[in-house]
Amino acid sequence: MDLAVSASAVVPASVAVPLAGAALMAGFSRLLPRRARDLVAIAVALATTTLTLILMAASAGRPMIYWFSGWRPSAGMVIGVDYAVGPLGAGMASLAGLLVCAALVYCWRYFDSARGRHHTLVLIFLAGSVDFCLTGDLFNLFVAFELVAVTAFALTGYNAGYPGPLQGAINFAVTNSLGGMSVLMGIGFLYARTGSLNLAQIGQALAGRHADGLVVVAFALLAGGFLVKAAVVPFHFWLPDAYGSAPTPVCVLFAGVMSELGLFAVIRVWDTVFSGLAGGVGPRMRAVLLGFGILTAVVGAVMALAQHHLKRMLAFVTMSHLGIYLIGAGLLTPLGLAGASLLVIGDGLAKSALFLGVGVLQHQRASVSETKLRGRGRGLAVTGVTIAAGALVLADLPPFVSSDGHALLVYAADQAGLPWMEIVIALSVIASSGAVLRAAARIWLGWGDNESSDADTGTADDPGEEAEGRSDTAGTEVQTQDDKGERSGRQRRVPLTMVLPPLALLAIGLGLGLTSGMEEHAAAAAAAFSDRAAYAAAVLGTHSGSVATGGGIVIPAAPAASAGGVLTDLGQVLASLCVAGIALDRRARRLRRALAAGTGWLRGLHSGLVGDQVTWLAAGLALLAALGEWALH
Amino acid sequence: MSVLAYGVVAWLFLIGIYGVVTSRNLIHLVVCLSVAQSATDILLLEIGYRKGGHAPVFVSLPAHPGPAVDAVMQALALTDVVVGAAVTALLLALVVQVHKRAGTLDPDALRATRD
Repeated sequence: MDLAVSASAVVPASVAVPLAGAALMAGFSRLLPRRARDLVAIAVALATTTLTLILMAASAGRPMIYWFSGWRPSAGMVIGVDYAVGPLGAGMASLAGLLVCAALVYCWRYFDSARGRHHTLVLIFLAGSVDFCLTGDLFNLFVAFELVAVTAFALTGYNAGYPGPLQGAINFAVTNSLGGMSVLMGIGFLYARTGSLNLAQIGQALAGRHADGLVVVAFALLAGGFLVKAAVVPFHFWLPDAYGSAPTPVCVLFAGVMSELGLFAVIRVWDTVFSGLAGGVGPRMRAVLLGFGILTAVVGAVMALAQHHLKRMLAFVTMSHLGIYLIGAGLLTPLGLAGASLLVIGDGLAKSALFLGVGVLQHQRASVSETKLRGRGRGLAVTGVTIAAGALVLADLPPFVSSDGHALLVYAADQAGLPWMEIVIALSVIASSGAVLRAAARIWLGWGDNESSDADTGTADDPGEEAEGRSDTAGTEVQTQDDKGERSGRQRRVPLTMVLPPLALLAIGLGLGLTSGMEEHAAAAAAAFSDRAAYAAAVLGTHSGSVATGGGIVIPAAPAASAGGVLTDLGQVLASLCVAGIALDRRARRLRRALAAGTGWLRGLHSGLVGDQVTWLAAGLALLAALGEWALH
Repeated sequence: MSVLAYGVVAWLFLIGIYGVVTSRNLIHLVVCLSVAQSATDILLLEIGYRKGGHAPVFVSLPAHPGPAVDAVMQALALTDVVVGAAVTALLLALVVQVHKRAGTLDPDALRATRD
C-alpha cells in the first residue's frame, strides 16, 4: 500500500520536475554561473529519467491511473484528466530523459556562449515528451504535442543568425503547426461524436459501432497530424531541413524522441480509440500502416545514400528507421509493437551516438560535408570508432538491443503471414547503414575518389553545409576569437564531455542487449498497451480487482538467440559494409552515376520550399482520408 | 447556422493552406497560417454550440436557465489561440531574422541563400 501511494506521487512528479526545472532556469539563470546552470539542468534531467524508470517498473503488472486533483470517473463517466501509465509509455519517457541527459552533458563544452535559454527549452521539451507518453486524455495529448513542437521550432532556429537554421525552423514550424491544427480538428470531431476527451471513454463509446463519415474524418485528421511529426512519407519533407540545421545536441532529441512520439501517438490512439470499431477494421488498417511504413523505410534509405551532408544523411537514416518502426507497430500485433519498441530504444541510442559523433566533427573540423572532410578524421579516432559502431548497431549488430528488436519484429511479420517484410527491412537497413559507413570510411580512412559530390549525386539537396557547419558552432568561433592560441580548435583536444556521452549511449545499448528477458518484458508491455478492453476497464474503473495484462500472449522462445536470427543480423552488417565499399570504389563509378540519375526525381522532390511541403501535406491528408474511408467504413 | 459554420471552417482552412502554398512573402505566409488556424477555433466553437444556450457561467443564474453552450470546447479553443499566438510570434521573429540576413521576404529566396 505504501509503495502504491508513493508510486502515485511519482506520476505527476515526472512532469512537474522538468517543468519546475525549466521555470527556475528561465527565471534565475542570470544569477547562476554557467557551470551551475549546466549542473542544475543535468540534475533535473537525471531526476526525470529516474522517476520515469520507477514508473516503468511500477506499472509493469498493471497500468497506473492517476486522476489529477482526484477527479475520478463517477459511474463510468469521466470528468477529470488522467495519466494512464504503462511500461511502454514510461519506457519511451525514460528514453527521452536519458537522451536529454546525454545532450546536456554534451553541451557542457559544445555551446560556449549558451545562455540559460537553451537548457530551459530542452527541459520544457522533456516535460512535454513525458506528458505525451503518460497522458490518457486526448486534449492533453494535443497540448503535449504542441509543447514539444513549439520548443522544437525554437531549438531548431537557435542559431537564428544563419540562413540554414532559419529556413529549417520556418519549414518545420509551418508544416508541424498545420499538423497540430489537423490533430485538434480530429479531436473536435471525436468529441462531437462521443462527448468525451478521454481516450478510454471515446474508445468505449465507439466500440462495436460501425464507423461513420465523421469518425473516418476524425481518424484521418488525427493520424495525419501525428504522422507529420513522425515524418512519414509524404509528410516528411520538413525533416531533413530541420535536422540538417538544428544544433547537433538538439538533433539527438529530435531523432531519438520526437519523431518516435508521433508514431507512439498514432498507435496509442488506434489501440485505445479506433481498434474497437465494428466490421473487422484491423486487417485493412494494417495494410494502410504497412504501406506507409514500407514507403518511408525505402525513401529514407535511398535518400540517405544520396547525401553528403552528414546531418541530412542521418536525418534520412532516422526517417528510414521510422518507417521500420511503423512496419512493426503497423502489424497491429503485440509482438510487432514489442519489436518496434526495442528497435526504438536500440536505434535511438545508436542514432544519438552518431549525431553526437558528427557534432564532434563539426566542432573540431568546422564542416559536416563528407567530401570536404575526406581524410581529415585523423586525430579523432575515438569519434571514428563511435560512428562506425553506431552504423553497425543500426544494421542490427548482435548483441546490441536493436538486434533483439529486429529478430522480434521479423518473427512478428512471419506470424502475420508477411515473411517478405524481412527483405524490405533488410534492404532499407543495409542501404542506410551503408551510407553512414561510406562517410566514415571516407573521412577516417581517406577512401574514395576526390570527385566532387556534385558529379556524383547532384546538388539538389546538399545545401550549404558550410553555412550550417559554421552556424552550429557559432559559440566556438566566439571563443576562438577570445583565446587566439586555439585557432579554429584544430589543436584543441576534444573535450571528454563530447567523447564520452556517445560511447555511454552505445554501452547502454550493449548492456540492454545482453540483459536476458528484454524480449519478454517488451512483449508483455506491448500486450498491455494494445489491449483496449483492459485499458478502458483500468481507466474507467469498471472492473474491480486486478486487470490481467499480458495474459494469452505467446512469447517466442527468444528468437534472437536462434542461429538464424544472428546470421541474418550479421548478414545485414556485412552487406552494409559491402554497400559502403561499393559506394567508394572507383570502378563502380558508372553504377553510382546510373543510380544517381535514376533517383534524381526523388531528390528533386525534396526542394526545401515550404509551399511544396505544405502541398504534399495536404495531399497526404486527402490520401489518408481516402484510405481511412476504405479501411474503416 | 450549422451548415454555414462548417462551410466557413472548410473555406478558411483551405484558403489558408492555399495561401501558404502560393505565398511569395513570408509575413503573408505566417498570416495565412493564422487564417487556417482560425478555422480550427470556429470548428471547436461550433461543435460546442447549443441553440439558444447561454454562456457557460454558472453563477447567479435565473430560475430556469435553459441549456448552456459547451464550456469544454471553448476551453479548447482558448488553448488553441494561445498555441497559435506562440507559433505566430516565433515565426514572425524568425522572419525578422530572415529579412536581416537575406534582405528579402521571398520564401524561395531562403533556398538561394542556403546554397
